[in-house]
Amino acid sequence: MAILSEKNITKGLSILQNYTDNKLLTHLNSCVHCGLCAESCMYYLTYKEARFVPAQKVDFIMSVYKRYFTFLGKHVPFLSKARDLNDESSSEMVDLFFGACTLCGRCTMHCSIGVDIAFLVRTGRVMLAEMGMIPASIQSTVDASIQTGNNMGITKEEFVDTIQWLEDDLKDELEDPEARIPLNEKGKKILYTLNPREPKFFPLSISAMAKIFHFAKESWTLSTEMYDVTNYGFFTGNIGEATTITKRLHEEVKNLEAKELILAECGHGSRAFRWEGPNYLNQSFEYTARTSVELIADYLKEGRIRVDKNRLKQRVTLHDPCNLVRNGGIINEQRYILHQIANDFVEMTPYGVDNFCCGGGGGQLAMSEYNERRMGIGGRKADQIKDTKANIVVTPCHNCVDQLIQINAHYKLNVQIKTLAEVVADALI
Amino acid sequence: MSYSLSVLPEAPAGLPVYPNLTVVYNMSWYIFLTLLSLTLCLGSCLFHIGKLVSMGKPADHSDPIGNEKEGILYSFTGGMSPSKKESAFLHLPTYIAGLLYHIGTFLSFGLLLLILAGISLPAIVKLILGGFLILTASCGLGIFVKRFIKPHLRQLSNPDDYISNLLVTAFQVVTAIQLHIPIIAYFMISSALLLYLPLGKLKHMVYFFAARYQLGFFYGRRGVWPPKN
Ligand code: SF4
Ligand code: SF4
Repeated sequence: MAILSEKNITKGLSILQNYTDNKLLTHLNSCVHCGLCAESCMYYLTYKEARFVPAQKVDFIMSVYKRYFTFLGKHVPFLSKARDLNDESSSEMVDLFFGACTLCGRCTMHCSIGVDIAFLVRTGRVMLAEMGMIPASIQSTVDASIQTGNNMGITKEEFVDTIQWLEDDLKDELEDPEARIPLNEKGKKILYTLNPREPKFFPLSISAMAKIFHFAKESWTLSTEMYDVTNYGFFTGNIGEATTITKRLHEEVKNLEAKELILAECGHGSRAFRWEGPNYLNQSFEYTARTSVELIADYLKEGRIRVDKNRLKQRVTLHDPCNLVRNGGIINEQRYILHQIANDFVEMTPYGVDNFCCGGGGGQLAMSEYNERRMGIGGRKADQIKDTKANIVVTPCHNCVDQLIQINAHYKLNVQIKTLAEVVADALI
Repeated sequence: MSYSLSVLPEAPAGLPVYPNLTVVYNMSWYIFLTLLSLTLCLGSCLFHIGKLVSMGKPADHSDPIGNEKEGILYSFTGGMSPSKKESAFLHLPTYIAGLLYHIGTFLSFGLLLLILAGISLPAIVKLILGGFLILTASCGLGIFVKRFIKPHLRQLSNPDDYISNLLVTAFQVVTAIQLHIPIIAYFMISSALLLYLPLGKLKHMVYFFAARYQLGFFYGRRGVWPPKN
């Protein structure tokens, strides 16, 4: 029995038809099936299954496009293996687009033509969202954001309590009664955001950033109303929900009259707000939105904070989050910071814009049904880490931290996983 | 011997001397077919280009941290170099074969225009170009065989991939022959290719440029291209 209604099929197809610019049209017509992208994707490298070749993911959306919108596909479908959009093809799309792609964009950068594969996979997710086929697991994360203001459903009381004991600890640690973690203060220079994993599981990373702000004598505040930097709507493909989440943060910057929004260490969150956000809202922002990585690098460059390079004795390596680096252009800042605080910093191979995804991107961490596959592709990252012989892996993304912690346990790497703010806070003098 | 319109049969005596009509009458059907196919091909390609241009690039309201123009320039230059693309440096023989194959294709199109215009080339040049085209056609054949024998490529491929590959390879082979021995098959295969080009995957001839432009725009704006280190 057909599960997909005609109405839902029409809604899905409308995404391939109602484009407003030439980007989608371009990439839907560009792949030449050379298959040379296979070795750029950790899914194919790990499992060696033809269906995991990036071009197969491209082909799924292209073949549906051809079937309904091209002459050959409409009249001689077997020539280009043009596919109908139906129960069978849409289920395969869910598995490929949600379960076999972290949207890391590594294949895009290395494609022989220049096909934006990650963009096409995301477009596929938008189609599935229109058809009501977003996996329930990841949708629940978005629902929590929409309903409670943060993706972990942390109550305001719980959050305020956490911040208050962190502030008390900070005063003790710094032996300074003036040390603060300000909440909801208007007219401050910076509104700082958090990944909800921080108040929930990693509160010390909030203290670390608060300590950096304290040493930099920064004018800053957190908001109790909207502090969540994440936006899983970007991953689910539900543009309406992604826009709602973006709008809330945007409104909060204006409400608190902040001059600058600093996006916490979260690759997809910073990308979703800084790069996609203005387009969701169809407007430029009147304030600056940038990442804490850039801010900390500036503090160091301007001498607003100072660090002791000799405190960190162990070997350090860096994991580059795909959304921050390959898709966000923050490439040298984290390296500059690590060179200031570590005597023994080594790069992974490959690194920077060519780095492999940790395996937890694209919402994979929120979809438990793909856990086994996710840990499998994490093997490549585990090998990269082992090869460096590092004791500490630093990454400016809480999502990556989560995946790396799991990889660490699974592959018995015996390393420490830290955020950038944490290692900087430990080196402050 | 190369073809030129002047070597085709004369129009019957008594036909009014309107130069254009005379030329059309004198034209062999296969040349007419090739010219018609070329016109349709160019028209379709222009249609694709026109559609892309009229739709325009995406409006982007984000605050750039890089330079789009530099990104686009890099996308068409350094970003395509074998040292930067895994699709090239992990597959060097395929990359070189692909490169030669594409050069052979563009060369064959250039020669088609010369042949249709009746412009003849010196014998030595024809000999060199013919030999080169046999080499590039072999590259095309190699790519065809690879597509067939590699399981992940075979699964990815559809009849359009094989047809396109064969048509272009055949086009290069008959061009090489045509340089020395005029054959009607040359015009037939050229026409088939020209008519098929805008329909199947060969239209990447147009979209390739748009895709690299888009990619350069994306990475340029975000400060990823040109590379910072
Ligand atoms: S490398 Fe690019 S053009 Fe080639 S198959 Fe992969 S996506 Fe398609
Ligand atoms: S975006 Fe990343 S995970 Fe997705 S197909 Fe490309 S390389 Fe693979």
